[in-house]
Amino acid sequence: MGDAEAGKKIFIQKCAQSHTVEKGGKHKTGPNLWGLFGQSPGFSYTDANKNKGIIWGEETLMEYLENPKKYIPGTKMVFAGLKKKSEREDLIQYLKWATS
Amino acid sequence: MSFWSGQQYQSPGGFDPQLPRTLFLLLLSVASARGVTQNPKDCVAFQSEKGSSISCHPPAELPSSLPADTFHLVLELFNLTQLPPDILKGASKLQELHLSSNRLESLAAEFLLPAPQLRVLDLTRNALTRLPPGLFQASAALETVVLKENQLEVLEASWLHGLKALGFLDLSGNRLRKLPAGLLANFTLLRTLDLGGNQLETLPPDLLRGPLRLQRLHLEGNRLQVLGKELLEPQPDLRYLFLNDNKLAKVAAGAFRGLRQLDMLDLSNNSLASVPEGLWAPLAQPGRDMQDGFDISGNPWICDQKLNDLYRWLEATKDKMFSQNATRCAGPEAVKGQTLLAVAGSQ
Repeated sequence: MGDAEAGKKIFIQKCAQSHTVEKGGKHKTGPNLWGLFGQSPGFSYTDANKNKGIIWGEETLMEYLENPKKYIPGTKMVFAGLKKKSEREDLIQYLKWATS
Repeated sequence: MSFWSGQQYQSPGGFDPQLPRTLFLLLLSVASARGVTQNPKDCVAFQSEKGSSISCHPPAELPSSLPADTFHLVLELFNLTQLPPDILKGASKLQELHLSSNRLESLAAEFLLPAPQLRVLDLTRNALTRLPPGLFQASAALETVVLKENQLEVLEASWLHGLKALGFLDLSGNRLRKLPAGLLANFTLLRTLDLGGNQLETLPPDLLRGPLRLQRLHLEGNRLQVLGKELLEPQPDLRYLFLNDNKLAKVAAGAFRGLRQLDMLDLSNNSLASVPEGLWAPLAQPGRDMQDGFDISGNPWICDQKLNDLYRWLEATKDKMFSQNATRCAGPEAVKGQTLLAVAGSQ
Protein backbone atom coordinates (compact mmCIF):
# COMPACT_ATOMS: atom_id res chain seq x y z
CA MET A 1 0.00 0.00 0.00
CA GLY A 2 1.63 3.22 -1.08
CA ASP A 3 2.21 6.26 1.07
CA ALA A 4 0.21 9.20 -0.25
CA GLU A 5 2.33 11.76 1.56
CA ALA A 6 5.49 10.46 -0.03
CA GLY A 7 3.55 10.32 -3.28
CA LYS A 8 2.69 13.98 -2.96
CA LYS A 9 6.36 14.82 -2.78
CA ILE A 10 7.07 12.72 -5.82
CA PHE A 11 4.27 14.47 -7.65
CA ILE A 12 5.69 17.88 -6.78
CA GLN A 13 9.14 16.82 -7.82
CA LYS A 14 8.40 14.99 -11.03
CA CYS A 15 4.91 15.79 -12.25
CA ALA A 16 3.67 19.17 -11.02
CA GLN A 17 5.69 20.94 -13.66
CA SER A 18 3.29 19.62 -16.27
CA HIS A 19 0.13 18.54 -14.43
CA THR A 20 -2.39 19.82 -11.94
CA VAL A 21 -4.65 17.45 -9.98
CA GLU A 22 -7.48 19.48 -8.51
CA LYS A 23 -10.92 19.71 -10.09
CA GLY A 24 -10.89 22.49 -12.63
CA GLY A 25 -7.13 22.80 -12.39
CA LYS A 26 -5.44 24.28 -15.38
CA HIS A 27 -3.83 22.31 -18.14
CA LYS A 28 -0.12 22.89 -18.32
CA THR A 29 2.05 21.10 -20.86
CA GLY A 30 0.10 18.05 -19.74
CA PRO A 31 -3.59 17.83 -18.90
CA ASN A 32 -5.24 18.35 -15.54
CA LEU A 33 -5.54 14.91 -13.92
CA TRP A 34 -8.87 15.30 -12.17
CA GLY A 35 -11.00 12.23 -12.85
CA LEU A 36 -7.99 10.12 -13.77
CA PHE A 37 -9.19 6.87 -12.28
CA GLY A 38 -11.84 4.74 -13.88
CA GLN A 39 -14.05 5.59 -16.77
CA SER A 40 -13.46 9.17 -17.74
CA PRO A 41 -14.88 9.98 -21.14
CA GLY A 42 -13.70 13.56 -20.97
CA PHE A 43 -10.19 12.61 -20.11
CA SER A 44 -7.80 12.38 -22.98
CA TYR A 45 -4.09 12.55 -23.14
CA THR A 46 -2.40 12.46 -26.46
CA ASP A 47 -3.36 11.22 -29.87
CA ALA A 48 -1.51 8.01 -29.07
CA ASN A 49 -3.27 7.55 -25.76
CA LYS A 50 -6.77 8.05 -27.12
CA ASN A 51 -6.40 5.20 -29.53
CA LYS A 52 -5.07 2.74 -27.00
CA GLY A 53 -8.38 2.95 -25.12
CA ILE A 54 -6.77 3.01 -21.71
CA ILE A 55 -8.85 3.07 -18.57
CA TRP A 56 -6.54 4.28 -15.86
CA GLY A 57 -6.41 2.29 -12.65
CA GLU A 58 -3.72 1.13 -10.26
CA GLU A 59 -2.40 -1.60 -12.51
CA THR A 60 -2.35 0.40 -15.72
CA LEU A 61 -0.68 3.30 -13.93
CA MET A 62 1.96 1.04 -12.36
CA GLU A 63 2.93 -0.15 -15.81
CA TYR A 64 2.66 3.21 -17.46
CA LEU A 65 4.63 5.17 -14.88
CA GLU A 66 7.53 2.76 -15.06
CA ASN A 67 8.13 3.60 -18.68
CA PRO A 68 5.54 5.90 -20.21
CA LYS A 69 7.14 5.87 -23.61
CA LYS A 70 7.12 2.10 -23.85
CA TYR A 71 3.56 1.76 -22.64
CA ILE A 72 2.19 4.36 -24.98
CA PRO A 73 4.63 4.73 -27.85
CA GLY A 74 4.31 8.18 -29.26
CA THR A 75 3.23 9.86 -26.05
CA LYS A 76 4.37 13.45 -25.94
CA MET A 77 5.45 13.15 -22.34
CA VAL A 78 9.08 13.83 -21.76
CA PHE A 79 8.91 12.19 -18.35
CA ALA A 80 11.16 9.17 -18.31
CA GLY A 81 9.36 7.07 -15.73
CA LEU A 82 9.79 5.97 -12.14
CA LYS A 83 11.97 2.91 -11.84
CA LYS A 84 11.33 2.29 -8.15
CA LYS A 85 8.17 0.31 -7.54
CA SER A 86 7.68 1.95 -4.15
CA GLU A 87 7.76 5.40 -5.70
CA ARG A 88 5.09 4.43 -8.22
CA GLU A 89 2.95 2.96 -5.47
CA ASP A 90 3.31 6.11 -3.40
CA LEU A 91 2.50 8.34 -6.33
CA ILE A 92 -0.57 6.31 -7.26
CA GLN A 93 -1.88 6.50 -3.70
CA TYR A 94 -1.50 10.24 -3.82
CA LEU A 95 -3.18 10.47 -7.21
CA LYS A 96 -6.09 8.33 -5.98
CA TRP A 97 -6.68 10.81 -3.22
CA ALA A 98 -5.96 13.98 -5.09
CA THR A 99 -7.82 13.41 -8.34
CA SER A 100 -11.20 12.30 -7.01
CA MET B 1 8.05 6.66 -46.27
CA SER B 2 5.06 4.47 -45.80
CA PHE B 3 2.09 5.58 -43.76
CA TRP B 4 -0.39 3.67 -41.75
CA SER B 5 -3.00 2.96 -44.38
CA GLY B 6 -5.92 4.09 -42.19
CA GLN B 7 -4.98 7.69 -41.62
CA GLN B 8 -6.78 9.33 -38.73
CA TYR B 9 -8.28 12.75 -39.14
CA GLN B 10 -8.63 14.35 -35.75
CA SER B 11 -9.21 17.84 -34.51
CA PRO B 12 -6.71 18.69 -31.79
CA GLY B 13 -9.29 18.94 -29.03
CA GLY B 14 -10.87 15.52 -29.49
CA PHE B 15 -13.03 13.57 -31.80
CA ASP B 16 -14.36 14.95 -35.05
CA PRO B 17 -17.82 16.15 -33.98
CA GLN B 18 -19.32 15.13 -37.30
CA LEU B 19 -18.44 11.51 -36.79
CA PRO B 20 -20.68 9.65 -34.35
CA ARG B 21 -18.62 8.26 -31.51
CA THR B 22 -19.67 4.66 -31.99
CA LEU B 23 -18.78 4.73 -35.67
CA PHE B 24 -15.41 6.22 -34.84
CA LEU B 25 -14.70 3.54 -32.27
CA LEU B 26 -15.74 0.88 -34.75
CA LEU B 27 -13.32 2.26 -37.30
CA LEU B 28 -10.60 2.32 -34.66
CA SER B 29 -11.08 -1.27 -33.63
CA VAL B 30 -11.14 -2.45 -37.24
CA ALA B 31 -8.14 -0.38 -38.14
CA SER B 32 -6.02 -1.45 -35.22
CA ALA B 33 -6.62 -5.19 -35.57
CA ARG B 34 -3.22 -6.42 -36.58
CA GLY B 35 -2.82 -7.92 -39.98
CA VAL B 36 -6.11 -6.49 -41.20
CA THR B 37 -5.36 -2.93 -42.18
CA GLN B 38 -2.28 -1.86 -40.24
CA ASN B 39 1.13 -2.93 -41.42
CA PRO B 40 3.34 -3.12 -38.32
CA LYS B 41 6.28 -2.12 -40.45
CA ASP B 42 4.75 1.32 -40.95
CA CYS B 43 5.13 4.38 -38.83
CA VAL B 44 1.89 5.70 -37.40
CA ALA B 45 0.74 9.00 -38.78
CA PHE B 46 -1.91 11.42 -37.58
CA GLN B 47 -3.20 14.35 -39.51
CA SER B 48 -4.66 17.48 -38.00
CA GLU B 49 -4.88 21.11 -38.95
CA LYS B 50 -1.51 21.55 -37.26
CA GLY B 51 0.03 19.17 -39.79
CA SER B 52 1.43 15.66 -39.66
CA SER B 53 2.37 13.85 -36.50
CA ILE B 54 4.61 10.85 -37.21
CA SER B 55 5.44 8.16 -34.69
CA CYS B 56 7.93 5.37 -35.46
CA HIS B 57 8.94 2.42 -33.33
CA PRO B 58 10.39 -0.95 -34.23
CA PRO B 59 9.46 -2.97 -36.20
CA ALA B 60 8.70 0.10 -38.30
CA GLU B 61 11.64 1.48 -40.19
CA LEU B 62 13.01 4.97 -39.99
CA PRO B 63 11.26 7.20 -42.49
CA SER B 64 13.38 8.00 -45.51
CA SER B 65 11.59 11.30 -45.93
CA LEU B 66 9.11 13.34 -43.95
CA PRO B 67 6.02 15.23 -45.09
CA ALA B 68 6.68 18.94 -45.37
CA ASP B 69 3.99 19.68 -42.80
CA THR B 70 5.46 17.37 -40.11
CA PHE B 71 5.23 19.21 -36.82
CA HIS B 72 5.66 16.31 -34.40
CA LEU B 73 8.08 13.39 -34.86
CA VAL B 74 8.69 10.44 -32.57
CA LEU B 75 11.51 7.98 -33.30
CA GLU B 76 11.97 5.78 -30.26
CA LEU B 77 13.24 2.40 -29.10
CA PHE B 78 15.46 1.85 -32.11
CA ASN B 79 18.80 0.15 -31.75
CA LEU B 80 20.64 3.00 -33.43
CA THR B 81 23.98 4.49 -32.49
CA GLN B 82 23.64 7.26 -35.07
CA LEU B 83 20.82 8.91 -36.89
CA PRO B 84 21.07 9.46 -40.62
CA PRO B 85 22.37 13.06 -40.62
CA ASP B 86 19.66 14.25 -43.01
CA ILE B 87 16.82 12.60 -41.11
CA LEU B 88 15.05 15.94 -40.64
CA LYS B 89 15.50 17.12 -44.19
CA GLY B 90 12.40 18.95 -45.43
CA ALA B 91 10.74 19.07 -42.00
CA SER B 92 10.93 22.82 -41.73
CA LYS B 93 7.75 23.01 -39.63
CA LEU B 94 8.96 20.55 -37.01
CA GLN B 95 8.13 21.61 -33.46
CA GLU B 96 8.69 18.53 -31.38
CA LEU B 97 11.28 15.80 -31.81
CA HIS B 98 11.18 12.80 -29.49
CA LEU B 99 14.23 10.56 -29.78
CA SER B 100 14.24 8.82 -26.42
CA SER B 101 15.43 5.27 -25.80
CA ASN B 102 17.55 4.83 -28.85
CA ARG B 103 21.27 4.13 -28.40
CA LEU B 104 22.53 7.33 -29.92
CA GLU B 105 26.22 7.82 -29.24
CA SER B 106 26.66 11.01 -31.16
CA LEU B 107 24.72 13.62 -33.06
CA ALA B 108 25.70 15.19 -36.34
CA ALA B 109 26.39 18.90 -35.88
CA GLU B 110 24.02 19.84 -38.72
CA PHE B 111 21.16 17.53 -37.95
CA LEU B 112 18.88 20.21 -36.43
CA LEU B 113 19.53 22.81 -39.12
CA PRO B 114 16.45 21.84 -41.20
CA ALA B 115 14.17 22.45 -38.19
CA PRO B 116 14.49 26.06 -37.02
CA GLN B 117 11.02 26.04 -35.44
CA LEU B 118 11.84 23.20 -33.09
CA ARG B 119 10.49 23.82 -29.59
CA VAL B 120 11.01 20.46 -27.86
CA LEU B 121 13.93 18.03 -28.15
CA ASP B 122 13.81 14.87 -26.08
CA LEU B 123 16.97 12.75 -26.07
CA THR B 124 16.22 10.83 -22.85
CA ARG B 125 17.98 7.49 -22.51
CA ASN B 126 20.61 7.53 -25.19
CA ALA B 127 24.37 7.12 -24.96
CA LEU B 128 25.59 10.63 -25.65
CA THR B 129 28.91 11.59 -24.10
CA ARG B 130 29.15 14.97 -25.75
CA LEU B 131 27.34 17.36 -28.04
CA PRO B 132 28.88 18.64 -31.25
CA PRO B 133 29.73 22.36 -31.37
CA GLY B 134 27.12 24.25 -33.33
CA LEU B 135 24.37 21.70 -32.73
CA PHE B 136 21.95 24.40 -31.64
CA GLN B 137 23.06 27.21 -33.92
CA ALA B 138 19.66 27.26 -35.69
CA SER B 139 17.67 26.44 -32.56
CA ALA B 140 16.58 29.89 -31.39
CA ALA B 141 13.04 28.58 -30.86
CA LEU B 142 14.04 25.55 -28.79
CA GLU B 143 12.47 25.84 -25.34
CA THR B 144 12.80 22.34 -23.90
CA VAL B 145 15.97 20.28 -24.09
CA VAL B 146 16.07 16.93 -22.33
CA LEU B 147 19.35 15.03 -22.11
CA LYS B 148 18.25 12.91 -19.19
CA GLU B 149 19.97 9.55 -18.70
CA ASN B 150 22.77 9.84 -21.18
CA GLN B 151 26.47 9.42 -20.42
CA LEU B 152 27.67 12.99 -20.17
CA GLU B 153 30.71 13.19 -17.93
CA VAL B 154 31.56 16.74 -18.80
CA LEU B 155 29.58 19.65 -20.10
CA GLU B 156 30.91 22.60 -22.05
CA ALA B 157 29.04 25.89 -22.12
CA SER B 158 29.74 26.16 -25.84
CA TRP B 159 27.65 23.05 -26.53
CA LEU B 160 24.54 25.03 -25.59
CA HIS B 161 25.24 28.10 -27.72
CA GLY B 162 22.24 29.24 -29.73
CA LEU B 163 19.53 28.25 -27.26
CA LYS B 164 18.12 31.74 -26.85
CA ALA B 165 14.62 30.56 -25.88
CA LEU B 166 15.68 27.76 -23.54
CA GLY B 167 13.21 27.47 -20.68
CA PHE B 168 13.64 23.89 -19.51
CA LEU B 169 16.97 22.08 -19.38
CA ASP B 170 17.14 18.54 -18.10
CA LEU B 171 20.61 17.08 -17.62
CA SER B 172 19.58 14.60 -14.93
CA GLY B 173 20.86 11.07 -14.72
CA ASN B 174 24.23 11.65 -16.35
CA ARG B 175 27.73 11.39 -14.86
CA LEU B 176 28.55 15.03 -14.42
CA ARG B 177 31.19 15.61 -11.76
CA LYS B 178 31.61 19.28 -12.24
CA LEU B 179 30.11 22.12 -14.20
CA PRO B 180 31.92 24.78 -16.17
CA ALA B 181 31.86 28.43 -15.13
CA GLY B 182 29.35 30.58 -16.97
CA LEU B 183 27.23 27.62 -18.04
CA LEU B 184 23.97 29.54 -17.74
CA ALA B 185 25.31 33.02 -18.40
CA ASN B 186 23.33 33.58 -21.61
CA PHE B 187 19.96 32.06 -20.80
CA THR B 188 17.36 34.72 -20.19
CA LEU B 189 14.30 32.47 -20.18
CA LEU B 190 15.53 29.44 -18.26
CA ARG B 191 12.97 28.53 -15.62
CA THR B 192 13.73 24.90 -14.81
CA LEU B 193 17.15 23.34 -14.45
CA ASP B 194 17.41 19.67 -13.59
CA LEU B 195 20.85 18.42 -12.58
CA GLY B 196 19.56 15.60 -10.39
CA GLY B 197 21.17 12.19 -10.30
CA ASN B 198 24.67 13.18 -11.34
CA GLN B 199 27.95 13.02 -9.40
CA LEU B 200 28.36 16.69 -8.58
CA GLU B 201 30.56 17.27 -5.56
CA THR B 202 30.79 21.01 -5.87
CA LEU B 203 29.10 23.72 -7.87
CA PRO B 204 30.70 26.85 -9.28
CA PRO B 205 29.52 29.56 -6.86
CA ASP B 206 28.43 31.71 -9.81
CA LEU B 207 26.47 28.88 -11.45
CA LEU B 208 23.14 30.67 -11.14
CA ARG B 209 24.38 34.13 -11.98
CA GLY B 210 22.96 35.59 -15.16
CA PRO B 211 19.77 36.96 -16.67
CA LEU B 212 17.86 33.72 -16.04
CA ARG B 213 14.99 33.66 -13.56
CA LEU B 214 14.87 30.13 -12.23
CA GLN B 215 11.74 28.74 -10.70
CA ARG B 216 12.77 25.12 -10.27
CA LEU B 217 16.20 23.82 -9.40
CA HIS B 218 16.85 20.09 -9.10
CA LEU B 219 20.11 19.09 -7.44
CA GLU B 220 18.91 15.92 -5.74
CA GLY B 221 20.94 12.74 -5.89
CA ASN B 222 24.40 14.25 -6.19
CA ARG B 223 27.39 14.37 -3.82
CA LEU B 224 27.20 17.94 -2.61
CA GLN B 225 28.71 18.46 0.83
CA VAL B 226 28.29 22.15 1.35
CA LEU B 227 25.63 24.69 0.44
CA GLY B 228 27.33 28.07 0.32
CA LYS B 229 25.67 31.42 0.73
CA GLU B 230 26.39 32.68 -2.77
CA LEU B 231 24.82 29.93 -4.83
CA LEU B 232 21.14 30.81 -4.53
CA GLU B 233 21.54 34.54 -4.06
CA PRO B 234 21.03 35.42 -7.75
CA GLN B 235 17.72 33.52 -7.94
CA PRO B 236 15.09 35.17 -5.74
CA ASP B 237 12.24 33.79 -7.84
CA LEU B 238 13.08 30.22 -6.94
CA ARG B 239 9.96 28.23 -6.05
CA TYR B 240 11.13 24.63 -5.91
CA LEU B 241 14.50 23.58 -4.57
CA PHE B 242 15.48 19.91 -4.38
CA LEU B 243 18.69 19.20 -2.49
CA ASN B 244 17.71 15.81 -1.10
CA ASP B 245 19.95 12.78 -1.27
CA ASN B 246 23.27 14.55 -1.26
CA LYS B 247 25.99 14.53 1.41
CA LEU B 248 25.24 17.97 2.79
CA ALA B 249 26.86 18.43 6.15
CA LYS B 250 27.08 22.18 6.12
CA VAL B 251 24.62 24.88 5.07
CA ALA B 252 25.81 28.48 5.27
CA ALA B 253 23.79 30.87 7.41
CA GLY B 254 22.67 33.06 4.54
CA ALA B 255 22.06 30.25 2.05
CA PHE B 256 18.31 30.92 1.72
CA ARG B 257 18.43 34.66 2.06
CA GLY B 258 16.17 36.34 -0.45
CA LEU B 259 14.22 33.19 -1.37
CA ARG B 260 10.87 34.76 -0.69
CA GLN B 261 8.97 32.70 -3.26
CA LEU B 262 10.09 29.27 -2.12
CA ASP B 263 7.21 26.81 -2.08
CA MET B 264 9.08 23.55 -1.76
CA LEU B 265 12.40 22.76 -0.11
CA ASP B 266 13.71 19.23 0.11
CA LEU B 267 16.79 18.67 2.26
CA SER B 268 15.97 15.09 3.17
CA ASN B 269 18.57 12.33 3.27
CA ASN B 270 21.67 14.39 3.79
CA SER B 271 24.25 14.53 6.59
CA LEU B 272 22.93 17.51 8.47
CA ALA B 273 23.53 17.36 12.20
CA SER B 274 23.03 21.04 12.74
CA VAL B 275 22.24 24.21 10.86
CA PRO B 276 23.05 27.82 11.68
CA GLU B 277 20.68 30.19 13.37
CA GLY B 278 18.80 32.47 11.03
CA LEU B 279 18.86 29.99 8.16
CA TRP B 280 15.11 29.56 8.04
CA ALA B 281 13.98 33.13 8.64
CA PRO B 282 13.64 34.06 4.95
CA LEU B 283 11.30 31.14 4.29
CA ALA B 284 7.64 31.05 5.29
CA GLN B 285 7.19 34.57 6.53
CA PRO B 286 4.01 35.84 8.16
CA GLY B 287 1.36 36.11 5.48
CA ARG B 288 3.26 33.90 3.08
CA ASP B 289 3.29 30.15 3.53
CA MET B 290 5.42 27.74 1.65
CA GLN B 291 2.67 26.39 -0.56
CA ASP B 292 3.87 22.82 -0.90
CA GLY B 293 6.17 22.22 2.06
CA PHE B 294 9.58 21.09 3.15
CA ASP B 295 11.35 17.91 4.12
CA ILE B 296 14.34 17.66 6.47
CA SER B 297 13.96 13.98 7.29
CA GLY B 298 16.72 11.42 7.01
CA ASN B 299 19.37 13.63 8.58
CA PRO B 300 21.43 12.86 11.71
CA TRP B 301 20.09 15.82 13.69
CA ILE B 302 21.77 16.60 16.99
CA CYS B 303 18.86 18.02 18.91
CA ASP B 304 20.61 20.42 21.25
CA GLN B 305 20.27 24.16 21.94
CA LYS B 306 21.88 24.98 18.64
CA LEU B 307 18.66 23.92 16.92
CA ASN B 308 16.46 26.30 18.93
CA ASP B 309 15.92 28.49 15.91
CA LEU B 310 14.87 25.47 13.86
CA TYR B 311 12.48 24.31 16.60
CA ARG B 312 10.77 27.71 16.59
CA TRP B 313 10.44 27.58 12.85
CA LEU B 314 9.09 24.03 12.90
CA GLU B 315 6.43 24.96 15.44
CA ALA B 316 5.22 27.67 13.08
CA THR B 317 5.36 25.65 9.87
CA LYS B 318 4.78 22.03 10.89
CA ASP B 319 1.61 21.63 8.88
CA LYS B 320 3.82 21.94 5.81
CA MET B 321 6.36 19.43 7.01
CA PHE B 322 6.75 16.21 5.04
CA SER B 323 7.95 12.97 6.63
CA GLN B 324 7.46 14.12 10.20
CA ASN B 325 7.93 10.62 11.57
CA ALA B 326 11.16 10.19 9.69
CA THR B 327 12.63 13.44 11.02
CA ARG B 328 14.38 12.27 14.13
CA CYS B 329 17.25 13.09 16.47
CA ALA B 330 20.43 11.07 16.22
CA GLY B 331 21.66 12.63 19.46
CA PRO B 332 22.34 13.69 22.14
CA GLU B 333 21.69 10.47 24.01
CA ALA B 334 18.78 11.85 26.05
CA VAL B 335 16.66 12.56 22.96
CA LYS B 336 18.05 10.04 20.55
CA GLY B 337 15.29 8.55 18.41
CA GLN B 338 12.71 11.20 19.21
CA THR B 339 11.12 13.18 16.42
CA LEU B 340 12.28 16.75 16.00
CA LEU B 341 8.70 17.88 16.38
CA ALA B 342 8.47 16.23 19.79
CA VAL B 343 11.66 17.91 20.93
CA ALA B 344 10.57 21.23 19.42
CA GLY B 345 7.21 20.96 21.20
CA SER B 346 8.86 20.40 24.53
CA GLN B 347 11.01 23.52 24.35
